[in-house]
Amino acid sequence: MESKTATILVVDDHATNRLKMSMAVKRLGYETCQAENGLVALECLRRDPIDLMLLDIVMPEMDGYEVLAAIKEDAGLRDIPIIVISALDELDSVVKAIELGAEDYLPKAFDPVLLNARVGACLEKKQLRDLEVEYLRQVELLTDAAGIIEDENFDPEALRLESVIARDDALGRLARVLTDMAREVHAREQSLKRQVQSLKIEIDKTRQKEQVSSITDTDYFKDLRGRAGDLRTMLQDKKDEKG
Amino acid sequence: MSRIVSIHSFRGGTGKSNTTANIATQLALAGKRVGVIDTDIQSPGIHVLFGLKGADIKHSLNDFLWGKGEIGAAVHDVTDHLNRAMPGKVFLIPSSAQADEIVNVLREGYDVSLLTTGFRKLVGELSLDVLLIDTHPGLNEETLFSIAISHALVIVMRPDHQDYEGTGVTVEVARSLEIPNMSLVVNKTPPVLDPEEVRQRVQQTYSVTDVTVLPHCDEMMNLASGGVFSTAYPDHALTRLYQALAAKLAA
Repeated sequence: MESKTATILVVDDHATNRLKMSMAVKRLGYETCQAENGLVALECLRRDPIDLMLLDIVMPEMDGYEVLAAIKEDAGLRDIPIIVISALDELDSVVKAIELGAEDYLPKAFDPVLLNARVGACLEKKQLRDLEVEYLRQVELLTDAAGIIEDENFDPEALRLESVIARDDALGRLARVLTDMAREVHAREQSLKRQVQSLKIEIDKTRQKEQVSSITDTDYFKDLRGRAGDLRTMLQDKKDEKG
Repeated sequence: MSRIVSIHSFRGGTGKSNTTANIATQLALAGKRVGVIDTDIQSPGIHVLFGLKGADIKHSLNDFLWGKGEIGAAVHDVTDHLNRAMPGKVFLIPSSAQADEIVNVLREGYDVSLLTTGFRKLVGELSLDVLLIDTHPGLNEETLFSIAISHALVIVMRPDHQDYEGTGVTVEVARSLEIPNMSLVVNKTPPVLDPEEVRQRVQQTYSVTDVTVLPHCDEMMNLASGGVFSTAYPDHALTRLYQALAAKLAA
């Protein structure tokens, strides 16, 4: 059974029918909101987080078919399940509505048990679809992160994998491993950067001077320095002597 | 006229021998006759890069320094080992890789002045354009001598705290010896560091204008001393940097 936190939009131009349907839905434990025609329904869908819509077909201003067509064109709305409400003798209308994207239908003279079953089934399908969409979105985040690493950016924050890391499945584990590896490389890079940034101040000039003196003050070095120029000249000319 | 170039680093593990081997290769590709002498007697290794095994070395620099033979006998023409046609030549004078001979030198030392004789003979007999000396890290008497007789000194360092001060000491000692040309090579620079920023900082810190920044390179690590990088990866960006460095040293 679907969680009762879902919000269901009831769309019907007849106030009595709308109220009757809303009451029935509320009795099942869902939140409801209402719209008296197709235009108002679209406004509601775009403004509020609606999980399912119960839609009458025959309405003034904008009928149910037009609402279905408008929703199909709207990427932000097209995944909201719609159950059309129709009279028992309107089978053609039901077929047309389903072709336009409706999930299911209910007769106007509905049985509460049937209402519960169809609403529950639709919401369950929506939940599965939402999970799949979210999974695919997180797979995309992961492949984006791999691309960022491929471009040699190992900053864990640049990977934007927080939501994937929170998963307790294999995808979450992959994201955690990738982030941990990137974090380690990033830390090493930062450390190397700091080393280079501090290159100048890391040299202890006093100690360096002492080390240089310990070499240049020796008799061996002084003698070598005295002869170095001559030795270089001698070696440089050697090839010419041969030639 | 021939040039003596010492390739030195204050600390081991900077990639000094790899740098030497690649400069030698680039010089030979440019038509130069190049000698490479491994004076890192305590821990020889450059012969491996040129495809020589320890057992292949029948005569080495050690024999000459111990009066057991002429330096010419230790010359190995490794040009063909580079697996690339080149107008120049690379002659390697390796140090012995035999443990007992290394221990003997460490225990008893050798007459440093013999190096002058040896270098003169090499330059003359092989008609060398450039003699590269792969030195022993640190600043012992033998290394100071190699640096002193050089027309150019290349100091290889890594962007690492352990190298900063020692490199500073080496630079000052070389200045005191009035070495005509001094270059710094910052090797194995991580990709996260901006090469131009590193170059400028090193220039300012050591007051040396000629600074080359070589990036860390995975291909070099994968090669694992199994050859000379420049010939294994002729079109690599790092090879172009070695090429430019060699051209500067030959100029």
